[in-house]
Amino acid sequence: MTAVLQIIFDALSLGSLYALGALGIALIFGVMRLVNFAHGDFIAFCVFAMLWPSIDATAVVFAGMLPFYLLIPLLLIIGAALSILSEIIVFRRFRNTNPATMMIASFALGFVIRHILLMFYSSRPKSITLWPSLGLPVDFLGAHIPMLQVVTIVITLVTLAVLVLFLKRTRYGLEMRAAAENFTMARMLGVRANGVILLAFAISGMLAAAIGLILATISGTADINMGANVMLIAFIATVIGGLGSVPGAVAGGFIIGAASVIFQATLPHDARVFRDAFVYGAVIVVLLVRPQGLFAPKSAKQRV
Amino acid sequence: MTLLAVDDITVSYGRLTALRGVTLKIAEGEVLFVTGPNGAGKSTLLNAIAGVVPAGSGSITMDGAKVTGASPEDIARRGFSLVPEGRNVFGALSIEENLKVGTGMRADRHKIAGDLESVYAEFPMLADRRHTAAGMLSGGQQQMLVIGRALMTAPRIMAIDEPSLGLAPKIIDQVYEILVRLRAQRKLTLLIVEQSSTRAMMTGGRMILIRGGRIVLEGAAADMIEDERLKQAYFGFGDH
Amino acid sequence: MSQRASVVRQTMLTPIVLIVVLLVMATLSYQFGSRAFNRTAVEMFINIMVVVGLYVFVGNSGLLSFGHISFMCLGAYMTAWLAIPPVMKSITLKGLPAWLLHTQLPMWVATPISGVFAALFALAVGRVIMRLSGIAASIATFGLLGVVNNVYSNWDSVTGGQGSIVGIPPTMNVWIGWLGAAVAIVIAYLYAISRSGLALRATRDEPVAASASGIDIVRERLIAFVVSAFIIGIAGALYAHFLSIVNPGAFYLRTTFITLSMLVVGGMYSLSGAVTGVVAISVLIELFRNLEKGISLGALKIALPNGVQEIAIGIITIVILMYLPTGLTRNQEFSWRGWPMLRRWSRPVRTAKELN
Repeated sequence: MTAVLQIIFDALSLGSLYALGALGIALIFGVMRLVNFAHGDFIAFCVFAMLWPSIDATAVVFAGMLPFYLLIPLLLIIGAALSILSEIIVFRRFRNTNPATMMIASFALGFVIRHILLMFYSSRPKSITLWPSLGLPVDFLGAHIPMLQVVTIVITLVTLAVLVLFLKRTRYGLEMRAAAENFTMARMLGVRANGVILLAFAISGMLAAAIGLILATISGTADINMGANVMLIAFIATVIGGLGSVPGAVAGGFIIGAASVIFQATLPHDARVFRDAFVYGAVIVVLLVRPQGLFAPKSAKQRV
Repeated sequence: MTLLAVDDITVSYGRLTALRGVTLKIAEGEVLFVTGPNGAGKSTLLNAIAGVVPAGSGSITMDGAKVTGASPEDIARRGFSLVPEGRNVFGALSIEENLKVGTGMRADRHKIAGDLESVYAEFPMLADRRHTAAGMLSGGQQQMLVIGRALMTAPRIMAIDEPSLGLAPKIIDQVYEILVRLRAQRKLTLLIVEQSSTRAMMTGGRMILIRGGRIVLEGAAADMIEDERLKQAYFGFGDH
Repeated sequence: MSQRASVVRQTMLTPIVLIVVLLVMATLSYQFGSRAFNRTAVEMFINIMVVVGLYVFVGNSGLLSFGHISFMCLGAYMTAWLAIPPVMKSITLKGLPAWLLHTQLPMWVATPISGVFAALFALAVGRVIMRLSGIAASIATFGLLGVVNNVYSNWDSVTGGQGSIVGIPPTMNVWIGWLGAAVAIVIAYLYAISRSGLALRATRDEPVAASASGIDIVRERLIAFVVSAFIIGIAGALYAHFLSIVNPGAFYLRTTFITLSMLVVGGMYSLSGAVTGVVAISVLIELFRNLEKGISLGALKIALPNGVQEIAIGIITIVILMYLPTGLTRNQEFSWRGWPMLRRWSRPVRTAKELN
């Protein structure tokens, strides 16, 4: 029983992380058909923003020393700002170009951000300690659940709830959903293209910052690759969820999180390092049956 | 007073020229019925005015202000509301949400609720299903919805592209009855584009015939319907 | 058939021009270049193979692939398994099956086998990936890259894990590099004028018309994917012989990006563009490599910090995409009269935005 409970919490917390990542990608994809390959580097940027630039192994914590009620908003602002800047400087010029061009442009931007980080921080992973008290377990129905898992799940659920409320109950949310479905029609109803797109980028950037914070807290390190790994899974989550479907992306994230944890628990010990490969194999099986994804939006036109 | 003036605009898609030097004016409160055969450039004309496709040359003015090259949202904000061909409802959004998308730009916030009620009064079927996803509606209902959605923007000109497309004749009559009524009630300026000119009788007003990207005939709708040249224009001049 | 013959007559100049130009470069490098310079030349030829292979898929289908470097990885490791002396393999790669452990093949045998291995793998995964819509397919190829990297980084007993496997005979030189590039160009050319190549470009430019005329888009994409994997697998094999060591880090994001950027800079939809892009970016990389090492101005030594190279290439790619989206070659081929047959299929569709 406690083992099952442990697995459920593992699945939920890992799924939360992937869902937040998939959400950040799906929102931008929804409004401008851009698959943002720079998202992983946005996440890494937010993690490294907590450190003072240095190529030494021992990290000098900088913004990370701030109390949480300052650090969290600061990091969210950094994420949003980086994301918005990317839109203004780079992606704005690629509107109306084909998705392949936009993908390469975002890949190139990610590459630039990555190497700027490498230049200032080197490729050595750095240790970073945030809120060590979160590592302590809490007892829940007899299982020892790390506090951090609970916090991650709660943060994700709160984020999702706020986002749903925002999308369903506010004017900007309504405009964003309309734009995601038919951008030109929304504009012909007076919805400002730049406003909606900037908003999507800002939210996506904040989600990247949230992931960065969670990852840094879980792993206790700042590593240049940590963002790319989450992004890879988040991409796959958006494909399984059905490209263009925001709820589908979230569901896809949780499904992959659950699949990963189940593989982790059931695979023989030697095979565990290949967990992601097994997850990917499972994804391929799913796509064989449903090439359009599990929750493909009804209105989705095939834009090859 | 002239509300919308299109002056000598030309629009091309690649090597294909869809509009060649089209000039027209619409006065406040007027109805203009634009007709012509398939591929004549009717939809291109509306899309050019709406800012969705760029005009290669010429100018478009609304209320005396030049709007050539302005973005679709800016043109919408000046009071031009286009109901495009194929209706384009937001299928995943509810009926009420569809109606509210275009109200964000309105300065007269306090009137929105009242307008919503009057749209529901006009289209009781929408009121009954206000929380249903718009994608669930039939073609005729969707046409009502997009007309209602355009009304909710409090437009100064409402342009409709092929309102009868894919609808049964009875429903088409309903749509036109509503348009005529709206025009009478609200003094709405209407720009209707339709391949078939038979309904122009219902709306009255002025009529323009476009063919091959040019205006070939212009006059009062009532006179033109009778005009033998209208029929000829569909099949080409001097072909027989 | 006579029509095919006339296509060949009109277009065959492009591969010939490309191969001859590369031969001139190889000769010059061999005659006048230093040892280090020759290594750069070999690297360039290998990159030409990879990017030409990438062009076979991306250029003809219009779909982006982020997974092609995994084929290079497969090819390189297969060559390592085949070409490292058994004595060394039995120490470092204990997990290999016995028959593989006791094999040692020369380069000219190991290389095509590696290519076929990569192609078979592409056939297996491509059957699923090619069924996805354009964007989803691109994402899936990126997933492929991640998974291949994950497996090769962790399967310690067979791949040596994150570390390097050493002991591949270093038998590469400029001439073999040139030969490899020439073979890649010829295969890419033959594919481009084949029935499948023509059909695939039709789906790229006129998807609706192409599917209406009965083209099996999944099948044509899959053929291109497999051909492209074969070329890149061979490139991986030669790369292994060139470095004489392999490690999974060499076949991941950086190489993926650099090769994609080469293709974009040259012109995604043309074979000449693929080759031009590699030459241009290779020159740039060499330039920045020297600048990072430092240049002496009298007593003053100025060196750019490490990493400027990558940042510059990233920015250049973005700028080229913004202002020259059809690349340095404008997606045209080198020849006297162009490629009339291909041009007709591949005329870029101008968007409303370009008309402004």
